[in-house]
This record gives sequence, C-alpha cells and structure tokens, in this order.
Amino acid sequence: MLEGDKMDDAEMDRILTRQDEIQPSSGFAASVMEAVRREAAAPPPIPFPWKRALPLGALAAIALIVTVVVAVFAATHPGSGSVTPNLSFNPVHGLSENGLDSALTWMGVALLAAFISVKLSMRLAGSRT
Amino acid sequence: MDENNATGVSDVVSYLNEAGCSVSDDQAAVGRVLAGDISAYEEIVHRWQAPLINLAYRFCHDRGRAEEMAQEAFLRAYRGLAQWRKDAVFSTWLFALATNLYRSELRRIPARTVSLDEIAEPADARASDGGLEDHDRDMAVRRAVFALPAKYREALILFYFHEMDVPSAAQSLGLPEGTVKARLFRGREILRGKLPRLLAVPRLKEA
Repeated sequence: MLEGDKMDDAEMDRILTRQDEIQPSSGFAASVMEAVRREAAAPPPIPFPWKRALPLGALAAIALIVTVVVAVFAATHPGSGSVTPNLSFNPVHGLSENGLDSALTWMGVALLAAFISVKLSMRLAGSRT
Repeated sequence: MDENNATGVSDVVSYLNEAGCSVSDDQAAVGRVLAGDISAYEEIVHRWQAPLINLAYRFCHDRGRAEEMAQEAFLRAYRGLAQWRKDAVFSTWLFALATNLYRSELRRIPARTVSLDEIAEPADARASDGGLEDHDRDMAVRRAVFALPAKYREALILFYFHEMDVPSAAQSLGLPEGTVKARLFRGREILRGKLPRLLAVPRLKEA
C-alpha cells in the first residue's frame, strides 16, 4: 500500500511539475511601465488635516474627561455639599428640576452635539473644496 | 533558459544566472527606483514577468486574467518597494506579494472550475479497462487540482511552481512549513481518492 502511494505521488509529481508555460505578451512590460509612470505622476494623497483636527480633538478629550470626573464624583459623593462640585454646574440637574425627564434631556444634549459636529464637519469639508 | 526555470523558480540564483543577472542586480535596481529613477523598474519587470505571469496562470488558467493580475502585482510591488526589507531576497518578497494578491483576487472573482465529481468520471470509455491516453490523464489531474478547495489547491500550486520546494512555497503563502506539508498531504489524498484509476493504471508506453 505504501509502495503504491509512493508510486501515485511520483506520478502526480511528474504530471504537475510539467505544467503548460505561457510567454508574456510583447506589450506586457510596456503596459506595466505605463501604469507605473502614471502612478508616479499622480499627485500624492491629501494628508489628514492634523492642524485642524488636533485642537478639536484636544477639546473633545478635555470635555470627556471633565464629564467623567464630574459623573464619578457625583456618584461616589451623593450627599456632599460644598466639598463636591456644585451640581448647578451640570445643566441636566437644572433641567430636571424644571420637571423634564432626564432621559429626554440627555437625548436633547446628544442631538445638539450631533448637529454641531455635523455642521462643523460640513463646514470643514466645504472649506477644502 | 530551460522550460522548468521559466515557470518554476525554486532556485532563484540559477534562474537569475541563466537570465544573465544576479540577486544583487535586483537590489541595485530597487535602490535606483527608490532614488527616483523609475526606468530602473523596467529591469525588474523584464526579469520577473515570466514567472509572475505563469504563477498567475496556474491560479486562474486564463491568459488574459493572468497578465492583468501580474500587472497589478508589479504595480503593488512598485508602491511597496520601500517596505522590502533587504534581509530577504527580492524575489521571495515579490512572490509572497503576488501570491497574496492572486489569492485575494480569486476569492473576489473565482476562476471557472468544474467539480471534482465531474472529473472523477472520465468521459472516455477506455478509462474503465485501460485508462486514458497520457495527455488526457495529465489534463484530468490538472483539472482535479484546480477543482480542489482553495487552501489545498494553493499549497499544491505553489509547491509545484517552486519545483517541489516546501520552504519556498511556505514563504510565498506566508504559512509555516508544517501547515503547507499538511495541506499538501491532504490535497494529494483528496486527489488520490478522486482519481484512483487515472493514477493507478500502468503506463503502457513506458512498459
């Protein structure tokens, strides 16, 4: 059986090593070089506008950190008065006192943030074209 | 350049010697291209066009598509020349890049294949008592390889392209040698199962 398998492998090797060969068509190299030259002549890709994005990114990061710090502080010191940051600092608190449901308030804040970011993006994109 | 060296490139040094150049010629040409001399890339294209097209042809069995895929491989190699680390031979890097491209191209638009079951039933009535003629049998075996599941087919294609050199096939596929060996074993096992009569019949011409 083993001998038979070896014979089969040898036969398979013989058949598959001897594959049809094709020659490149005469214009192949020229066509590749044309594509390469086109590639080299193309303008470099537009770089990401880090100068504009960095200040905005930093601002967003600071806002996020402040929000997290305030939220954590409020959660860990529920009854603290003057030691904790003033809760009137939180716009949600004020709105809740006015009887609005806090979920709706957060939704409004999120929509406002989304609207501002879309507007800002469109403005930035418009200024590039 | 003999027939084997034109298609398979297991021994890169001997292939380059027969083409009248050396491994350092590739390195020098790449250096010139990176320095801004685009025309130096033509040397690389001329040197490696036949192996790259033939490798693509083994994947798709379509001449036009093979040239298109090889052209894309050269273009990607040009874009990524700066990423070639000179600790590996240039051709090793080029074949790995091309193999990767060909595999993903064929996953995107598969080549037309026939099922293994169709191949296992030879249309020629002589197969049942005497076997097919050599040419028909060879074609049936090649078609059977082409109809294998992709991972076994790719391992077999690269193994025979690199003239049965497992380390080279593994480098081109970006796989460990053990994985390639296992796939070769399993691929051959499937072929043997599907083509028992074709491979077992005694070859009358050689008797």
